[in-house]
Amino acid sequence: MDTKLKKSKPFTAWLCFFLAVSIMIGLLITVFAGLGYSGGNWEVLKAPFTDYKNSTAFKQRTADYYGRLFSLVADPSTYDAGYIETTKRFLDNEGENLKYYAVNKNNNFLVQNITPKPSSLSDSGKTPALPAGYSYCWYFDGEKLRVIDHGEPIDIQRRDSSYQGIFHGYKYNITPIYLSNIQVMLAVKDNLVENPYAHSKYYGDQQFLSIIGWIYTGLLVLGLLLLVFAIINRPSKREFDRKLASWMGQMWMEVKLVFSLLVLMFFGGVAYSYYPGWDDPVLVDILLNATLTSCMIIACFWWFYLILIDLIVHGKGFFTHNAINSLLTGYKKYEKRYPWQKLMLKRAYMLVAAEAVLAIISVIFVLTALGSGGSALLLAFLIAGAGIYLIYRYLKRYEETISDLGNLMDHIELIKNGDMGTKLEVAEDADIYPAVQNLNYIQEGMGIAVAEKMKSERMKIDLITNVSHDLKTPLTSIISYVDLLNKEDGLPEHVNDYIKILAQKSEHLKNLIQDLFDLSKASSNNLPLDMETIDLARLAKQALADMEEPIAASGLTFRINIPDEPIYIISDGKKLYRVLENLIMNTLKYSLSGSRVFVDLTVDSKEVLATIKNTANYEMTFDEDEILQRFVRGDKSRSSEGSGLGLSIAQTFTEVCGGKFSVKIDGDLFKVELRFETGSES
Amino acid sequence: MEKQRVLVVDDDREIVNAIAINLRNEGYEVIKAYDGLQALDIISTQNIQLIILDVMMPKLDGLSATLKIREEKNIPIIILSAKSEDTDKILGLSMGADDYVTKPFNTMELMARVKSQLRRYLRLGDVNVTNKANLLQSGGLCFDLENHTLTVDGEPVRLTATETKIVELLMRFPGRIFPAEEIYQRVWEEPAYKVENTVMVHIRRIREKIEINPKEPKYLKVVWGIGYKIEKI
Repeated sequence: MDTKLKKSKPFTAWLCFFLAVSIMIGLLITVFAGLGYSGGNWEVLKAPFTDYKNSTAFKQRTADYYGRLFSLVADPSTYDAGYIETTKRFLDNEGENLKYYAVNKNNNFLVQNITPKPSSLSDSGKTPALPAGYSYCWYFDGEKLRVIDHGEPIDIQRRDSSYQGIFHGYKYNITPIYLSNIQVMLAVKDNLVENPYAHSKYYGDQQFLSIIGWIYTGLLVLGLLLLVFAIINRPSKREFDRKLASWMGQMWMEVKLVFSLLVLMFFGGVAYSYYPGWDDPVLVDILLNATLTSCMIIACFWWFYLILIDLIVHGKGFFTHNAINSLLTGYKKYEKRYPWQKLMLKRAYMLVAAEAVLAIISVIFVLTALGSGGSALLLAFLIAGAGIYLIYRYLKRYEETISDLGNLMDHIELIKNGDMGTKLEVAEDADIYPAVQNLNYIQEGMGIAVAEKMKSERMKIDLITNVSHDLKTPLTSIISYVDLLNKEDGLPEHVNDYIKILAQKSEHLKNLIQDLFDLSKASSNNLPLDMETIDLARLAKQALADMEEPIAASGLTFRINIPDEPIYIISDGKKLYRVLENLIMNTLKYSLSGSRVFVDLTVDSKEVLATIKNTANYEMTFDEDEILQRFVRGDKSRSSEGSGLGLSIAQTFTEVCGGKFSVKIDGDLFKVELRFETGSES
Repeated sequence: MEKQRVLVVDDDREIVNAIAINLRNEGYEVIKAYDGLQALDIISTQNIQLIILDVMMPKLDGLSATLKIREEKNIPIIILSAKSEDTDKILGLSMGADDYVTKPFNTMELMARVKSQLRRYLRLGDVNVTNKANLLQSGGLCFDLENHTLTVDGEPVRLTATETKIVELLMRFPGRIFPAEEIYQRVWEEPAYKVENTVMVHIRRIREKIEINPKEPKYLKVVWGIGYKIEKI
């Protein structure tokens, strides 16, 4: 572990948590192991903290010695001399701590380290007299076993005597008569001492138990303290958890699953194999065994802890980071080198190829399974599952791409309709992401261009508005003073002519400025509109009636073809009147004298068409577009009469009123068409 | 009769002078001012019968000045402005002005409007007295149902019999729009067929008689594509 990690607080907190939990689990396992070993006797837990003589360990140790001694004398014929010697040496290891005497009167076999034979031992049913310093004894009088402590017999059949269960396994197939001639006696020294010549297990156990209790207590306290520390530093601990999780997250799910499976199998094996041997129930062995097992169980625990935090932190990501997905990611990187069409086709082909391979492998496994069965079938299923998963992924991707394409089309429609604001959002790894990005850039560029254009248009309009406004003030003075001059009497005739010209031209200027102003307002969409259902037929009649005098004065013949029934359109009547007025004034000005002017109004279910046709009194050297742009482009045949804006105003006003305006020129025939959507009376 | 005093306010001195000359020629006494505050001073100290007021002026603009004047006085105010939009006109009139003339103006027209406003202002009392049930009124238009006579700002107008009938019909329902056919049926009392021209000719003639500027009618208006009406004022 590097020093940087050791120093970091999260690591410290997590280490504390790790140690605390490990200790706790270790202790818990020890407790369970102890309980299991003692056959569910809770007394075993108290052993380290009680007098050794009262402990189960002591009783079991004594039972072991007793059992060996008993089986030695009960049937000595089955044992050879070596075995007898080994057993005796085993018992004699205890030295002074253990005094024993066992006899089989059937064949006069005797083992003992008490000399002489304890007095009253020959009389069955009596408490044997023990040597001084020995007050605890086990005594089999040929009929039954007694345990005597300080002269008091203990009822070993009682549950609370804590002797129950200690003797199981010592049932011998020996007839009671034969048994009645056997006597076994075992006495343990009150104050256990060390045997200088051999290892006394009594003494060793006593010494061991006296410290093991403190070790356990110490561990428990340490564990608790560490746990408290870890709980106080929960956030830091969690931080390290996340770090661990991110390390775990780098592993594929399959690897984790396989490893978990192995761990479980290993754990099961350990749990199954763990069973302390009966031959030599030595505390140290039990503890060693328990410690080893504990470590393994703890390791298992931490493995699953890591899996758990990985699951909690990554959630769905735990499952999605698997071999198939990693392969797919790799494939995605690879396919990016190809152009889009190729990429999409290649993907479909790859799917088919992968499915074929998986199917073949799967079939092979199934066939193998038919022969050998079992795990091969499972593998076949797994591979089939992977195939299905691949198809699912492909279809999902396909669906996403289709949906993105749909959105793209909608978005293009949106842009067509002039929306430059909303951006299309698709996932960054989508197939059509580059296309969407490009579209967004185009849209952005268009938006900027449109905004710029609007801005410059606005500025132009503002300029015209302000200028025409500022022109009016001096013009007011000019008109007023020309008017005053006009009223002067006694001026020479030629001066009066000059004044007339001034009056005419200033009036012309006034109209020009007003037209300019109207046009700029209309083309900047700043014209307030009053849209309503109006009768175009009536409007045309009204307009013609209104201009009856100039029409009559012009000498032109008007052929008017307007239906009697109403023709409803939705428009602004006042503006439309201005359009008709301008168009009629135009024909009056530019028609060949004595010619005919045709005004027609027709209607069908969709469209209302109004046309005005006249024969020009001059050669029209411009085309349809030019005449409408005269103001903009500078003009070949601008007349001194009028502003020259009449047609432009008519066109702009028609368009803001919801109509279409077009001009057609055919030789000397000049034709204006106005089109409107047919409305209904409302 | 004492000379009527007209106050002319504009920051452009030449325009003020030109208007002053014309007004003096018409026999009015003229007082000049060149900004809104000056105008308010003069109004509070002198007896003024009519004000011609520019909108865009330094210190105090014409619309604010109109509001101030209207707090105390009922003198006719004609606003003179280079702003020619309908919205500007509506704003000016709603501030309390009596008339709105756009620059550049026709001198004759301005004089006519001055006369008309003064007539109304000075004879207002008479109109109130004779305000009876048999009198139809819309702004300066007044139609006497008994005598079948029309006056504009107190000035009698001579109408033909048909014109009188049309005016009476329209004035009975001020604001209502009459299609040409309906006017024809009710005035001529015969079924209408292609009568747009006939009616329009009469409307135009009436307008020439009652309007100061027939091209920008104040009372008798054409509602394009629908019909004709007399404005409800």
